[in-house]
Amino acid sequence: MAYEPPKQSLAGQIFDVVTLLVLTIGALYIPLYLGLAGAAKVPNPIANPTWESLGQNATEQQQWAALGITDPAAANDIITARFDYSFSWSSLIVMAVLVIGYFVMVVRLSDREYREVIEERFGTKRR
Amino acid sequence: MENVTSTAAGTDRLRLLRVLGPAHVWALGVGIVLVGEYMGWNFSVGKGGMIAGLMACWVAGLLYTCVAMIDSEVTSTVAAAGGQYAQAKHIVGPLMAFNVGLFLVMAYTMLEAANAITVGFLLDTVAGMQGQTGLNQQPFIVLAIMFLAWLNYRGVLATLTFNLVITAIAFIAIIALFMSVQLGASAVPLDFSAITSDPLPYGWVGIVASLHFGLWYYLGIEGTCQAAEEVRSPARSLPYGTMAGIMTLLIAATMTWYICSGLMPWEYLGQAGTPLFDAARVTGNTSLMVLLFVGTAFATLASANGCINDASRAWFSMSRDRYLPSWFGAVHPVYRTPYRAIVFLVPIALIFALGAPLDQVVTFSILSGLLGYTFMTFNMVMFRNKWPLDKIKRGYVHPFHPLPTIVLLILCSTAYFAVFLGYGTQLSAMMCFYIVASLWFHFRRYKFVRRGDQFTMPWPKPHGY
Amino acid sequence: MWNILEYAAWALSALFGVLMLADLIRIDTTYDNELLISSREGEIEATAERHEI
Repeated sequence: MAYEPPKQSLAGQIFDVVTLLVLTIGALYIPLYLGLAGAAKVPNPIANPTWESLGQNATEQQQWAALGITDPAAANDIITARFDYSFSWSSLIVMAVLVIGYFVMVVRLSDREYREVIEERFGTKRR
Repeated sequence: MENVTSTAAGTDRLRLLRVLGPAHVWALGVGIVLVGEYMGWNFSVGKGGMIAGLMACWVAGLLYTCVAMIDSEVTSTVAAAGGQYAQAKHIVGPLMAFNVGLFLVMAYTMLEAANAITVGFLLDTVAGMQGQTGLNQQPFIVLAIMFLAWLNYRGVLATLTFNLVITAIAFIAIIALFMSVQLGASAVPLDFSAITSDPLPYGWVGIVASLHFGLWYYLGIEGTCQAAEEVRSPARSLPYGTMAGIMTLLIAATMTWYICSGLMPWEYLGQAGTPLFDAARVTGNTSLMVLLFVGTAFATLASANGCINDASRAWFSMSRDRYLPSWFGAVHPVYRTPYRAIVFLVPIALIFALGAPLDQVVTFSILSGLLGYTFMTFNMVMFRNKWPLDKIKRGYVHPFHPLPTIVLLILCSTAYFAVFLGYGTQLSAMMCFYIVASLWFHFRRYKFVRRGDQFTMPWPKPHGY
Repeated sequence: MWNILEYAAWALSALFGVLMLADLIRIDTTYDNELLISSREGEIEATAERHEI
């Protein structure tokens, strides 16, 4: 006997869409509100910058000029900014567990649902 | 009546219009992606230096070649709107399909929002160059989304023909810039001395980190299979259009890296907002500047346009199976587009475009894409196991299986690590989002789905069930 | 000049939005909802692509 799903009311349909939207917007904005978002570069400006001390050769100086920056002091922050790639192993492990756990969970639950689908579509398995 | 199928019961059914050829598939795939060459990829240079940028370009190119090969095989066999969503439904199972559908809607809607933000930024730059400061970007962001949604609403053929034209112009602009610089049109010579003087400012970890934005060069090429139900002959056009697309992008990406790295100091390039336009500024040639401005604008619009097309197809397909309210699964009786899905996604895109910061939106988009590629690896293995090559006919069979799958899995893991290096919190927040959404689907939503009806392909029973 | 463009952009956005919404309402009231959501996946497969060797 094929599974007959219940009919969903209009209010239920709207409720389901709203739930999904709230989840999405939450995932996007919660890290922002907690101030945990993003990885910014930190500039380490040097004192009395010249093009030479910033490591820019003659051609590169021409290129900076063409981009509208002729004063080495103005390029100081851009040139000396660096990312910080240090990380903690524990948070790496948490992330790995989340990603792998997620896929394992989804595939296992999917398989359970998939067997029902195949059974209904092709009839019971002949043994 | 044409394009209405009469069923045995005597009722008429609407369906999407099948009018597209391989060129439209190319335009859809490349159109979404090419904007990555005009903005965003260069952050990979900032993350690891010039060489790391090139390595990221080619490693990501390899990743996407695997994606394109795997995707072409599965999609030439599962030809349905919704692309990877329908693949997951037939091969892995309903919950995976729901997640893949969400990946698609999220990745494309976020990318659409990012494109609209870029349109606003670009116009602000131009207004600034004409002495108008403090331009209100909002009307232009809204207009870009509204116009493209309207175009999508009115029919797929016009939409993708428009995409074909503007994508071609944006691609030609990159080639023209490359050629002119090679022929000496630039006032400033190319300079690659940073390769020897400052090869890897962050060491080897910089190469891994730069992969995060290396994905930008190609992100979205897999969107070609969303058009499956609207292509005249999917088994032939989809592999052809997708493969042509990835080749186009490999060429464009390498040329873009070469020109930009040669014409700009890597420290500047690593944080530039519009790198190709900046490269044209460095050449000092006004016509090149105008050309690359037009290229940037067109690439952004083409991408937003393709995203609306793809996100709405995914939303539509999920609704058709009642994964989402069935109300959205409607086809316009005249234009043959999933019109309710298109209209519904407009305000969503507007919320993201007007409310969220660009890098946040972009990261959400990249991560959703990355989860989708991870899915493709085991999807491919299961596809070959459940229906071996001699069991059903495929439009295209990709070579060297399972090598591309293994390569793809290794590269995906590396990319997760790269994202983790800068955006670990977002990654965790997003994983939590998908876990909660999965539980919600499994325990609440799935009861409204008809079980057997989900399997729509005329295939034999899968092996092992 | 840019101020005028801003207003023009708002106006055009509203125009496209109204066009879409008006058409959506017109279609939804003209046609039966059962017909509109009658599309089914896999109809290409049933007619053109048989996947048989």
